[in-house]
Amino acid sequence: MSVDASISCQEVVELLSAYLDGELDPTTLERVEAHLAGCDGCTMVLEEFRETIRLSGGLTVEHVDETQRRTLLEAFRDWRAGS
Amino acid sequence: MAEPRKPPDDLALVELLRAGDETAFMMLVDELGPSMRRVARMYVSSDAVADDVVQEAWLGVVKGLDGFEGRASLRTWIFRILVNTAKTRGQRENRSVPFAALTGDDLDQPTFEPSAFGAPGEPNAGGWSTLPFDWRGMPEERAEGTETLHVIGGAIAMLPPMQAEVIRLRDVLGWTSDEVCNALDLTETNQRVLLHRARTKVRGALEEHFRSVSEA
Repeated sequence: MSVDASISCQEVVELLSAYLDGELDPTTLERVEAHLAGCDGCTMVLEEFRETIRLSGGLTVEHVDETQRRTLLEAFRDWRAGS
Repeated sequence: MAEPRKPPDDLALVELLRAGDETAFMMLVDELGPSMRRVARMYVSSDAVADDVVQEAWLGVVKGLDGFEGRASLRTWIFRILVNTAKTRGQRENRSVPFAALTGDDLDQPTFEPSAFGAPGEPNAGGWSTLPFDWRGMPEERAEGTETLHVIGGAIAMLPPMQAEVIRLRDVLGWTSDEVCNALDLTETNQRVLLHRARTKVRGALEEHFRSVSEA
C-alpha cells in the first residue's frame, strides 16, 4: 500500500493530530495531503481521529463537590466583605 | 464542545467578579473546578491538599483581579495561578514529581503499534501491514450512546495525568492549544505530543469497543 514514497503510513499516523489542528508546516502538510489522497488506510484512521475528537466533546461535564462549592462561596463572600 | 469564551466576555466577567457577583463566581467554579482539582493533585500529596490548593488559588484569583489585563484568557490566567500555587505547595511538602511521571515516559515511542506496519527493509516498510478495524459508519445510536462515552471516559482515566488533562481541556472542553500550553505550563511540542498520544489511545479504545460489539 505504498503511495507517496516521500512519507510512510507509519509517519503519517503520527502527524494526524497536528494535521487536524492545522499545526503542520507547509511542506509537511503538502506531503501528508498527497499521501492521504492515495491511501485508504490512513484516510480511515484520519476520519476515526476526527470522530474520536467529536465523540469526546460529548463527555458530560463533571461536577464540583458540594462541600467544596460551599467553602469557595463562603471564601468569596469573606473576600468581598473584607475588600 | 463548549464554545470558547471571547476576551470581551472575559473582561465583562472580571467586572462582575470585582463587583462581588456570586453567580458569576460560582459559574467559573463549576466550569473550572474539576480540572483545577486534578491539576493541583498532580503536584501535591493528597486530595485534601489539592482541595486546599484550589481554594488558595481562587483566593489568589479574586485578590488579583485588578492585575488581569485580558492578554491571556481568564481561564488560562486562573490556571497559571493554580499551577504556581500547587507547585509551591508541592515544594513545601518536599514532593518532587518527575515530569515523566505526569506525562508518561514513552513520549519518544511511536503511538501506533509498530507491528501494524511493514518492518524496515521490507518492500512495504512503513506501510500498513495490518489495517485497524474500520469502525466508521457505526450506526449513530450505537456510536453516540452512553456506552461509547463510558469507553472514552474510561480510556482517558487510564492515561498519565498530563495526557488526560490535555485531552480533556482540548477535546472535551474545547480549549485552544495556546490556552492549554499556557494553563498547564507546557511547550507547544509537548502539548502536541501529549494530545496525540491521548487521542491515539482513545481512538484505540473505541476501535476495540466497536470491534467487540460488531462481533457480538
